[in-house]
Amino acid sequence: MKTAKAGTMESMDCLVTVTEAAAGTGIKLVMDGASVARFRTAMEKKVLETVAAKDVRDLEIEIEDNGAIDIVLSARVECAIDRLGGAQ
Amino acid sequence: MLRTMLYLPGNNPNMLTRGHLFGSDGVILDLEDAVAMVEKDSARVLVSRFLEQGEFGKCEVTVRINGIDTEYWRKDLDAVVRYRRLDGIRAPKVDGPETVKVLDEELSRLEDKYGIEQGHLKLHCLLETAKGIWNAYEIAKSSPRIEAIIPGGEDLRADLKTSRSDDETELEWARRMIVFAARAAGVEPLDTVFSRVTDDEGLRKEVEFIKQLGFSGKSIIHPNQIAIIHKVFNPTEKEIANAQKILAAAREAAANGQGAVSVDGKMVDMPVVKRAEYVLVRAGLAEVK
Repeated sequence: MKTAKAGTMESMDCLVTVTEAAAGTGIKLVMDGASVARFRTAMEKKVLETVAAKDVRDLEIEIEDNGAIDIVLSARVECAIDRLGGAQ
Repeated sequence: MLRTMLYLPGNNPNMLTRGHLFGSDGVILDLEDAVAMVEKDSARVLVSRFLEQGEFGKCEVTVRINGIDTEYWRKDLDAVVRYRRLDGIRAPKVDGPETVKVLDEELSRLEDKYGIEQGHLKLHCLLETAKGIWNAYEIAKSSPRIEAIIPGGEDLRADLKTSRSDDETELEWARRMIVFAARAAGVEPLDTVFSRVTDDEGLRKEVEFIKQLGFSGKSIIHPNQIAIIHKVFNPTEKEIANAQKILAAAREAAANGQGAVSVDGKMVDMPVVKRAEYVLVRAGLAEVK
């Protein structure tokens, strides 16, 4: 399966890893890190909105968070998906 | 006012989030030298999301794109021009009016594409080669978009086949040229960065020097440099009081049909009035005319 990453583990950033998933498996999201315990619901919502905006239906997403705000979370997910798709 | 323009690395969420809080007059979201080649795409996405949803307070917001000799600059512009929070583009390695023409045409095309009014985006041109400095005036007047021209630092030294000296003798002529060209063309001369971020006294001396040459402000790479630069550029209370006195005397003279007037034994003529007006502009007490 193809994998792509975006982001870093620097302060206020997050490291996003996306992996291709078989058709029909849906979005599988795993999150860990600094803000996840407190903001899991808001973070999940932001990630799923970003994935939907990219018109992706089947994907594994792993996020290691180090205090990323929603703008950063969204940008890193978007970039990882672009990289998976081969966008430069 | 553009006394301080703070570079924020385009792939650094921490600085992009907090950069506007330090009190600089402007921020430069950097897609060029501060971003590794393999991260150009992620920086472009991050900067565009910040322009769309981020906070920049009252800062003038510009994006430094990659040079037009790279494969990145068109993608950089396409990613950022659509956002209204963007005030302008800082363009590197501008060698002559032909570079400005290329940028101007692409900006116009994208403004049209994204429904932004024509000419909304300003251009800050970095003149980082001997040829760019030589063409400074032609560059400065080559488009109504141009708001500022800026001399290069390290790139210019490399092109001049020289190196950095403590007193920066190697940049002195380029700085004077930039001021003359900018003032002649009616745009702002902004200075290059001071890279010794812990040398406060060195920075203060350099800012006093470039202010005396006629620069309007300076590019910066560390928030600690802001207060030092503002202190040099801000008029003192004595300068403000004197300027107000001169302008009051000039107004009174005009009302009485007098041409020239004297304040504290010194003749006040038009250049003195203009300088006094500029003091109040720098103090934030008057608008630029």
